[in-house]
Amino acid sequence: MTTIVLNRFDGRLSLRLQSRALWLSAILLGALVAITATSLMSGSYPLSVSAVWETLFASAPSDMAETVVWQFRFPRTLVAALAGALFGLSGAILQNVTRNPLADPSLVGVSQGASLAVVAIIVVYPDVNPALRPLFAFGGALAVAALIQSIAMQRGGEATMRFILTGIGVAAFIAAVTSAMLTYGNIDQAQSALGWLAGSIHAVGWTEVWSLSLCLAILVPVLIWAARYMSVLRMGAEVAMGLGVPVRFARIGLITLSVALAAFAVAAVGPLGFVGLVAPHLARRIAQAGVGQHLVLTALTGAVMVASADIIGRTAFAPIQIPAGILTAILGVPVFLFLIIKQNHNRQL
Amino acid sequence: MTRGFAVSLLLMLGGMVLAFGWHVAVGAKVVPLGTVFEALTAYDSSIFDHVIIVDLRLPRAVYAVLVGASLAVAGALMQGMTRNPLAEPGILGLLTGASFAVVMTIGFFGLLSPAWTPLVAAIGASVTAVLVWAVAAAAPGGSTPLTLVLSGAAITAFLGAFTALANLLDQESFEALRVWLTGTLTGRSPALLWWSLPWITGGMLIAFAIARQVTALALGDETAVGLGVHVARLKALAMLSVIALTAASVSIAGPMGFVGLVIPHVARMFVGADYRLIVPFSAGLGATYLLLVDIAARLVLAPIEVSTGIVTVILGAPFFVWLVRARL
Repeated sequence: MTTIVLNRFDGRLSLRLQSRALWLSAILLGALVAITATSLMSGSYPLSVSAVWETLFASAPSDMAETVVWQFRFPRTLVAALAGALFGLSGAILQNVTRNPLADPSLVGVSQGASLAVVAIIVVYPDVNPALRPLFAFGGALAVAALIQSIAMQRGGEATMRFILTGIGVAAFIAAVTSAMLTYGNIDQAQSALGWLAGSIHAVGWTEVWSLSLCLAILVPVLIWAARYMSVLRMGAEVAMGLGVPVRFARIGLITLSVALAAFAVAAVGPLGFVGLVAPHLARRIAQAGVGQHLVLTALTGAVMVASADIIGRTAFAPIQIPAGILTAILGVPVFLFLIIKQNHNRQL
Repeated sequence: MTRGFAVSLLLMLGGMVLAFGWHVAVGAKVVPLGTVFEALTAYDSSIFDHVIIVDLRLPRAVYAVLVGASLAVAGALMQGMTRNPLAEPGILGLLTGASFAVVMTIGFFGLLSPAWTPLVAAIGASVTAVLVWAVAAAAPGGSTPLTLVLSGAAITAFLGAFTALANLLDQESFEALRVWLTGTLTGRSPALLWWSLPWITGGMLIAFAIARQVTALALGDETAVGLGVHVARLKALAMLSVIALTAASVSIAGPMGFVGLVIPHVARMFVGADYRLIVPFSAGLGATYLLLVDIAARLVLAPIEVSTGIVTVILGAPFFVWLVRARL
C-alpha cells in the first residue's frame, strides 16, 4: 500500500495519507453525486438528466421542475446526506472512545434521549418554534449520555460491557416514556411526532440543510483537532495516560462531541438507527487508514447510506413513502449480528 | 419448607386476593369492595354495578393474573436454564417475535381466528428464540449475558422495523393492532382467553414438573449431569414451557416487557435458590404485580389510560439497569 506524505512548514503540518483510502474517498464522493442526481430525477414527476442539470445550473425548463427540484428533492437529498455523515461520525467517535465496536448512538440511549426531548416539546408545548428543536434534542441526548456514563462508570472492571447494557436498559425506559407521552398527547401532535420518530426525511426544507451544514462547519474543525486524542485513546486509558493525554477530559469532551453530532442529526431527521454503528465498520473494511482519513471515509459512507436509504424508501413502494429509519434498521441489523459473531476475541468488550 | 415459607406463601396469596379485589373495584366508577364481593357471590344482572364488575372488570383482572403469572414463570425458567440474570422473554426478543408473527399473519391473511393466534405466536417466539441463541452461541465466548442481550436487542429492532413497514403499507389492518402492540389488557375477545388457556395450563404443568431439575441446572451443566439430570431433554422441556407461556400471554395482552425479569428476582429474595419454590412464587407475585401495574396504568393519568405494557417497561427498565450495575 502506498503512502503519500505531505510535509509543510518544517514539519509543523504533516499528513500521512493512504492512497487507497484517498481513491475510495473519491469513489464514495462520486457515488454520492450519482445518488443525488438519481434522487433529483426520480419521483412522481420524473425529470431527465439534462432537465435537472438545467434547473440546477441554468434556468429551469418549467416552473414545475424548478419547484420540484429546488423546494422538495434537493434539500431532502442534502439533508439525508448530511445527517448520514453526522450519524457516521458520531458512531465512529463513540466506538473509538469507548473502545467498543458495537457502540451506536441509537443503541445506547443517545438517540432516544434526543427523541424524548423533541416529542415532549411537540406534545406538551406545541407552540415552540421548530427551529429550536436541535437545542432540545442536544439537551436530552446529553442528559441521557451523562446518566448512562455515571451509572456505568462508577465501579471498576468491565466498564464498556456495562456501558452497553446500561444503555439498552435506559433506552427501553426512555422509549416507554416517549410512548406514554404519545398516548397522553392530542392526536394531531402525536401523529406528527410519530412520523418524525420513524426517522422520516420527507418534511425537510432548506432550514434543516443550513442548520446541519452549520453544525458540520462548527463541529468538524473541533473533530480534526480532537482526532489526535482519539487515536491515542483507542490504545487504552493506560497508554493514553502514559502519552500525556488528560484521559478523563478527553473522554468526556469526545463523548459530548459525539452526542452533539447525533443530536443535531436526530433533531433534523428523527432517530435513524444503526447508521452510526455500520458506517465506521464499512469504512474500516474498505480501506486501512489512520484516524483522520477513517473519519472522512466514515462520513462519506454514512452519507451514501442514508441518501440511498432515502431514495429507496421514497421510490420502492411509491406513492407510499417508507421512512429511511426503517430501511437503515433492516439493513443495519444483519451487519450488527455479523459483527457480534465476528468480533475479535482479544478486543475488550 | 419451614414456617417462614408458610408465612410468606400466605402473605403472597393474601396480597394477590387483595390486589384482585382492588383491581376489580377501581376504575372510572369506583365500586365499594362489599358490592364487588356481592357481585361475585350473588350476581344480579339488574344491578348496574354487578354488570360492570362481572362483564368488564372481572375478565380484565383474570387476564392480568394469567399474563403476569405466565410471563414471570417463563422468565424464571429462562434465568435458571441460561444462568443469566438478565434473561427474560422481552429482552431476548421472544415477545417481539411472537407479536411480529401475529401482526404479519393478520396483515397477510386478514383476520386471524382466536384458535390459531397462540399457535402463530408460539411459532414466532420459537423462531426468534432459536435465532437469538444461534447468534449468541456463534459469538466468541459463547452465549454470555452480553451477547444474548445484544442479539435480542438487535433482532427486536429488526422485527420492529418490519412491523413498522407493514403498518405503513396497510394502515387499515394495522390500526386496530397498534394499541395491542404496546401491551394492553383491554378489549380482548373472551374467545382468545379460552384458546390460550390450554397453552398456559400446559406451560405451567411443565414448569412445575421440571422445577426441581432446573435447580440443579442452575448450578451448572456439569453439576446437573453429575446429579443425574438429562440436560438436553430438560432444556428442551423448559424451552417448550417458556414458548407456550410466552405465546399465550402475547395472544391475550401483546408484548409486556420486563415482567419476566423483575418477578423471578423478587421471588428469589423471598425463597432463595430452589426453583420448586421460585416457580410458584413467581407465578403468584407475577399475577399480583401485573394487577397492581394495571391499576396504576388506569389511575395515574385518569381519565386517560396508559397501556399496561408501557408501565411495565417504565418500572422494569430501571430494575434492569440496577441488575447490570449490581450483578455484572
